[in-house]
Amino acid sequence: MTPRPLRLTVNGRAVELVDVPASERLLDTLRWRLRSKGTKEGCRTGGCGACTVLVDGRTCLSCLTLTHEVDGTEVTTIEVGPEDAVVTRVRTAFEEAGALQCGYCTPGFVMALAGLLRERGTSATREELLEGVGGNLCRCTGYVAIVRAIESLRSGGP
Amino acid sequence: MAAFDLVVPETAEEAIAALQTLGPGEAAPIAGGTDLLHDVEEGRLLARRIISLRRLPWRTLDWNGNALTIGSTLPLRALEDDRQVRERYPGLYEAVRNVGSVALRHRATLGGNLVRSAPSSDLIPVLLTLDAEVDLVGPHGDRRVPVDRFVQASRRTDLRTGELVRSIRLPEARPSAFFWQRVRPSNDISQIVLAVAFAPAERSWRVAVGGVTPRPTLLAEAATALGAGRPSPDAVRRAAESASARAPFMTDRRASEEYRRRLVGTLLERAVASTVGTAGFPA
Repeated sequence: MTPRPLRLTVNGRAVELVDVPASERLLDTLRWRLRSKGTKEGCRTGGCGACTVLVDGRTCLSCLTLTHEVDGTEVTTIEVGPEDAVVTRVRTAFEEAGALQCGYCTPGFVMALAGLLRERGTSATREELLEGVGGNLCRCTGYVAIVRAIESLRSGGP
Repeated sequence: MAAFDLVVPETAEEAIAALQTLGPGEAAPIAGGTDLLHDVEEGRLLARRIISLRRLPWRTLDWNGNALTIGSTLPLRALEDDRQVRERYPGLYEAVRNVGSVALRHRATLGGNLVRSAPSSDLIPVLLTLDAEVDLVGPHGDRRVPVDRFVQASRRTDLRTGELVRSIRLPEARPSAFFWQRVRPSNDISQIVLAVAFAPAERSWRVAVGGVTPRPTLLAEAATALGAGRPSPDAVRRAAESASARAPFMTDRRASEEYRRRLVGTLLERAVASTVGTAGFPA
């Protein structure tokens, strides 16, 4: 338990959380405390990337992160609105490339790529972008369309 | 899931004190937490109190000539992104950028990797070839321990109660290389890792291997076989044979002993070729 509230900014909205157990992970805070179900739970061991979010603009596996350890940070998830131009751009690229089948892994892929673009800028190479999703698994194995989305990001669109 | 409380000290002194408030093993530090939280999830964590290191001023990278001191809580991604690290410590750069995934490397740290001391660690073999030393702070003062003595077995190190890893010191830049074998190229645990480095001042090689039991280890005989400079093809072959025969490989769920013994020589040949091709390799 914490003596003072824990503060996060989630998708631009300031939230104060009280009585968050020390062992609670950011993934569970987002999904169950804040009822933001866009971020997905896959393996819970950092092996699949489905839970990827941004913390202060950098990719983060929310299943391997204690919420208290990111106290005071800015968290961005797949639910962020159009005001986030980078996430919006990646989401659009996925839509236009049809880069999803069941869709469960998609939020993780989108956030991993958005994080990479924030880090490396729009000049990120194809290799860097592919490396950026090296920790993301698609159990439908729909990788061809995902790579197509990545290539459209490279060529300036959407 | 195991219940624990979390302490977030502002200074090293506070962190050392917090580590000693409970019995041995009942308080554990957390840096990136990417490996520790595995243990929490599997119910293997015994600690009742976790000491966060996030507010300590240890996310640092300090050069002194060619010697590099890496703060224990610096995220691996920052290490990988440093141009000087890439140029002067190519083996370390390759090892770091092959750990897990980008998202994992934004949190995982060199200090955490050392303290968790996994036999399959991608980073410990490289540190061994660079003669890296661990700078520790603790209730009885500071001390410096070679990585080769610090790492003992999986999750077992020379760390004493109340001690923390403050930084890792690399005494000199060395032409070096790192090669791995895994089932999946990204975000997987290596079956074998192989690191080599050439110490230019003393003109001698280091060869270290991971994916072994009980801990990553230097292979002295293979290093000696490589000689005192650019090795002949025959010397490389003898080093490869020695590594294959001497490395303490075992069969586990990731690979068989036989597979590892066949593979290690190939990785060594590639690593030596890459190292002699490094820009700074002496004539």
